[in-house]
Amino acid sequence: MLNSSLFATLSSVSAGDGHAETVVSAIPEAARPENMTWAGLILLLPAISAILCGLYACLGIKNRLPGWTTVLALASSFVVVCMLYAGHEPGQPVVIHLFDWIDFSWGSKGAFENVTANFALYVDDLSLFWMLFVTGLGTCIAFYATEYMDEDRGKGYSRFFGAMSIFLLAMSALVLGDNLVMLYLGWEGVGLASYLLIGYYYQKTTAIDAAKKAFIMNRIGDLGLAIAIWLVWFNFGTLEYDGLFQALNLYLPMAEDGTLAGTQMGDAPLGWTAYLIPWFLMVGAFGKSAQFPLMTWLPDAMEGPTPVSALIHAATMVTAGVYLISRTYPIFWLEMEQGGYALATVGWIGGFTALLAATIAVKQYDMKRVLAYSTISQLGYMFMGLGVVQTFGACFHVYTHAFFKALLFLCSGAIMHGLAGQLDVRKIEGLRMAKGWKVVTWTMFIGALWLSAFPFTAGFFSKDEILAQAFVQEGPGFRALGWIGIITAGITSYYTFRVWFRVFGGKTLRIEPGPEHHGDASSFHPHPPGWRIKAVLIVLALGCIAAISSGYFGIGHWIKGMVSNSSASWGMPLHWHEGDTPFFGGDPHVTMYYVSGVVGLLGLSIAFYFHLYNRKLAITLEHAIQSRMSIRWIPRLLEKKWYMDEIYNATVRIPTWLCAKLLYLFDRLVIDGILVGGIARIPMFIARIFQPLQSGMLQGYATTMAGGVSLIIAWIIWTMSKGGG
Amino acid sequence: MEMVEKLTLITPEILLFLGAIIVAITGLSGSRALRGAVPFITAIFLAAAAVLTQYVYANEEALTSSGLLFPRLGGYIKTLTCVVGIALVALGSGTIDRAYERAVASGRTRFNPLRVMRGEYHAFFLLSLIGVMLICNATDLIWLFLALELSVLPTYVMVALSRNSRGANEAAIKYFFLGAMSTATFLYGFALLYGATGSLVLLDIRDQIAVLLSSEAGLPNFALIGMALSLLGIFFKISAVPMHVYAPDVYEGASTPMTAYLSIVPKIAGFVAIILLCGTFGWAGRHEITFAGETMVREGMPDSIQTMLWIVAVLTMTLGNIGALLQTSLKRIVAYSGITHSGYMLIGIVAGTTAGIDALLFYLAAYALGNLALFGVLAGLSRAGHEVENIEDLAGLWRKNPRMAGFLALAAGSFVGMPPLIGFWGKLMIFIAGIESGEILLISIAAVNSAISAWYYLHIAGVPVVRAATPRSETVVATNRLSPKIVATLAGLSLIIVPIFTTSLYEYARTGMDVSELEVPSSEQTLAPGNGHDLDLMTEESSA
Repeated sequence: MLNSSLFATLSSVSAGDGHAETVVSAIPEAARPENMTWAGLILLLPAISAILCGLYACLGIKNRLPGWTTVLALASSFVVVCMLYAGHEPGQPVVIHLFDWIDFSWGSKGAFENVTANFALYVDDLSLFWMLFVTGLGTCIAFYATEYMDEDRGKGYSRFFGAMSIFLLAMSALVLGDNLVMLYLGWEGVGLASYLLIGYYYQKTTAIDAAKKAFIMNRIGDLGLAIAIWLVWFNFGTLEYDGLFQALNLYLPMAEDGTLAGTQMGDAPLGWTAYLIPWFLMVGAFGKSAQFPLMTWLPDAMEGPTPVSALIHAATMVTAGVYLISRTYPIFWLEMEQGGYALATVGWIGGFTALLAATIAVKQYDMKRVLAYSTISQLGYMFMGLGVVQTFGACFHVYTHAFFKALLFLCSGAIMHGLAGQLDVRKIEGLRMAKGWKVVTWTMFIGALWLSAFPFTAGFFSKDEILAQAFVQEGPGFRALGWIGIITAGITSYYTFRVWFRVFGGKTLRIEPGPEHHGDASSFHPHPPGWRIKAVLIVLALGCIAAISSGYFGIGHWIKGMVSNSSASWGMPLHWHEGDTPFFGGDPHVTMYYVSGVVGLLGLSIAFYFHLYNRKLAITLEHAIQSRMSIRWIPRLLEKKWYMDEIYNATVRIPTWLCAKLLYLFDRLVIDGILVGGIARIPMFIARIFQPLQSGMLQGYATTMAGGVSLIIAWIIWTMSKGGG
Repeated sequence: MEMVEKLTLITPEILLFLGAIIVAITGLSGSRALRGAVPFITAIFLAAAAVLTQYVYANEEALTSSGLLFPRLGGYIKTLTCVVGIALVALGSGTIDRAYERAVASGRTRFNPLRVMRGEYHAFFLLSLIGVMLICNATDLIWLFLALELSVLPTYVMVALSRNSRGANEAAIKYFFLGAMSTATFLYGFALLYGATGSLVLLDIRDQIAVLLSSEAGLPNFALIGMALSLLGIFFKISAVPMHVYAPDVYEGASTPMTAYLSIVPKIAGFVAIILLCGTFGWAGRHEITFAGETMVREGMPDSIQTMLWIVAVLTMTLGNIGALLQTSLKRIVAYSGITHSGYMLIGIVAGTTAGIDALLFYLAAYALGNLALFGVLAGLSRAGHEVENIEDLAGLWRKNPRMAGFLALAAGSFVGMPPLIGFWGKLMIFIAGIESGEILLISIAAVNSAISAWYYLHIAGVPVVRAATPRSETVVATNRLSPKIVATLAGLSLIIVPIFTTSLYEYARTGMDVSELEVPSSEQTLAPGNGHDLDLMTEESSA
């Protein structure tokens, strides 16, 4: 099958039409149709659903009504997105004004003289692309959750679906908003929904701690984003994408041959603060998308119900960082054109995070944690793609990852649901043999294949786009970065199948029930998932399979078309330099398929050998490592997640705590004691002096009034006598 | 100006006067139902007057030729007065004559028209509001004086009638004597102004003062004293230093609905009068005066009056605050806080630009709403048949009646100026106007005062929540009267909701000061008596 003609077609997909052209695409001005306000339903429907869920909670409704309401709202929202897509003209952004929101202006109301952020939607290929899978997957996962959350029917059920609706509302605002303020609103909104859902089991301390951790870690990123937004206004005088892109058009290379700098570069160069914008945007993106060093919240976020992990912490919310950078890519591009290293940094942080998280995943035993670290790792790939100027690959990977990772999470959710909360891979064996678990077994197998980038799966194509580009694009150490990516691909393949072989493989069925099982362990029988969970798993698996076609048929062009018609590729030359930098003697976009395929199969084989074929050897090997002082720290380091939490504790938490204590003492002694205590006494003291004047005696009052009037008149006469007046 | 046109402009007042007569008669009726309808009739007439006001002030032509200093001021002020009036009627309905009516209902006493006071009270109520509204239409000093007196004289009686206690009578006496003294003060000021300018008409006085100021001899000294005295007298209405001393005692003596009345309505009256007087003294717009072939530009009032206003503003806000700090009586706190707010509002007068007055007019509405919410809550509570007067009575209110405690907290928050409540926007606009006119020191003092005032406002908001109920406060319950609760609810909610429409309300308040294209009232007119020079007097709207 691995014939070169196939790879030729594949490479032409990746190279696209831009092979020999160096046309620079200007950013088109958005159309502003009047009659498209119906698109506001995308936001309105989840909002209504959220309010209804709140009402259901108040009314104490005990049936599945909140679930079905949410599913219906999200499905309708998805339909509206599809309608919007159907009527969309590629490459032509559309601004749909819903209502005035923030609108200050002064002076002549030009750029820099207004702060405008109206409630409007910016519909272009990128936002549509995102919305299609956000609302589509949202509907599927909400449907799954109607069964998954069954045991909590009542207030918890309403609360769960209310928060899900809020999430979809906020995510839609984030993606569709026509300005950075609306993006920020959505950004905070998804943070809120994430907080509410991670802490869903609020009786559990770990869940509350995880929720707080996620919220606080995200604040750091949000600060970066807020500063970036402010800097955007400061430099470009607008917060709306349309205005921003039109301003950027003046600075980006615009000539047909791609050589001339933007018209404005000469006469009105941007201030140095403009080149800080990408760095702050990056901080925001890294916070939301759990990249090093702001990554530690995501594994803990698995405390939330599994559908939440699937939707928010794997498929959609965590990709908001990728969306942010894709949306503001011209700013990054501009910085790079000026010799900056923001994009390279994004790429390197992404690559480093991918490797770091993958190594941690190797040594985790909790199935959901393995998946969480793999999410961080895969997000790292996406940022690597952005860094090596392969936005198409990054967005493509977002898309495939959304499907297969949601599938994997939902499968592990089914296991958790059926096995009384058991997720430890050491305590489950041979699950494929249990009755009613066929669907889970094989859909999870598909998910695992896709995640490990098995040749000819969708994950394989999307990942290779990124890896190959690392060898094409010139940048600081990008070849090394490419190798890091390849190594990580091998590790990914290993840890993914480690889980699958452990849980589903084996000769006998052996299950230890999880913490939620009460009673005799020997009488425990896993209860298989119901039809709704199975249906969603099958749908997602089919989605994964369908995504394969992106490699062979027009789908790859479809995604590429959408991404390259958007801000993710605007303003840069569509020129991929293929063939200039050979990799194993060929075009990297072709040879990478062989290299990464071999590496992936290698990882899979190792997992097969140690975790299915010869498990005893794995134990022997582990003992051997443990008994050697010189190397036994390695597994320990991985198991302890490179001591990230401990490092945070020592470098951030303890200093902050000390600082807070000091400030507290200062506040108690100086502020409260001397300043407040002292100053507050002054008015009190004066009040005591004046109190006798308020004696209640009429004569006294009359005297005071007359005295006051006389004093003032005397003073006026005195000033007049001095010649004033 | 023709008499008929003048009467057209005051049709709302005439309507209210009719209402006053009807209410006075209805109140004497032997039928209990009719007597009970008195507050409703009052409210209906007020609502009708409010609607009528909109029609009257839609007539641009009549306004242009009205000869008023600020022709459109009345549109906003009269509407505000009527709306506040309706709320105040609702607040007080059922409290006046309560004991007597109950005695009649139970058959303990026979109905005696000579003893019933409800009709009287509401008739006086309407008359006083008429006075306030008439102030807006004052074209000369006599009218201004009469309207001011009409607004204040009924209130002396109302304080006495408002509740059946010796405290109320004592308060009424104090209020009357001190009020009479203040009237004497500004009347003397008016007399001096007339002496200096030879005219009673506000527009003439204004032009005359402008001419005198630019003449070689300058403004005569007694004219300045006249200005100072007339302002000082009117300071009584807004309880500004040094005429503020009566406020705590009178507020405390009157019943709660009457205290609400005293804390809002005289302030509207006083500030409108001050705006008119200050407009007369000079800051209504920038004057370009052509005198003997030379063009002079004059802005603002005489320096000493300006300085006096500045000092009074500072003293008023500071002394009011200091007085409130040690109080435990809610009404005294409100009295002192009202003094403080007058101080803030005086900043608008000191700023003197149109922005300052716009902000002041907005602030009046914000202040009125806050007071209505606060008094709505207080009037809706009772302690074993008595009024709730001490702040300690509120302890534990949050557990018993979280809604009322919430509105109380909202009102307090609005007074402190907590965003996004309406009080915040009021203060913000006043402060911005002050800063724009360069009064940085004044604004700093106001800001410090605002911070100090948080002490007692947060006390009002916090005691119901934080403090555990005491045996005394246990007896505090919500009364079964619905109308104060409605007022509290509406006013409380509007503290949050109205800020959404801040811009619209502010724009409405602005129309009051819209002097553009209207104010070329006395061009080509010989002004200085005897000197024979033609004066070309033009005015433009001054901008900040």
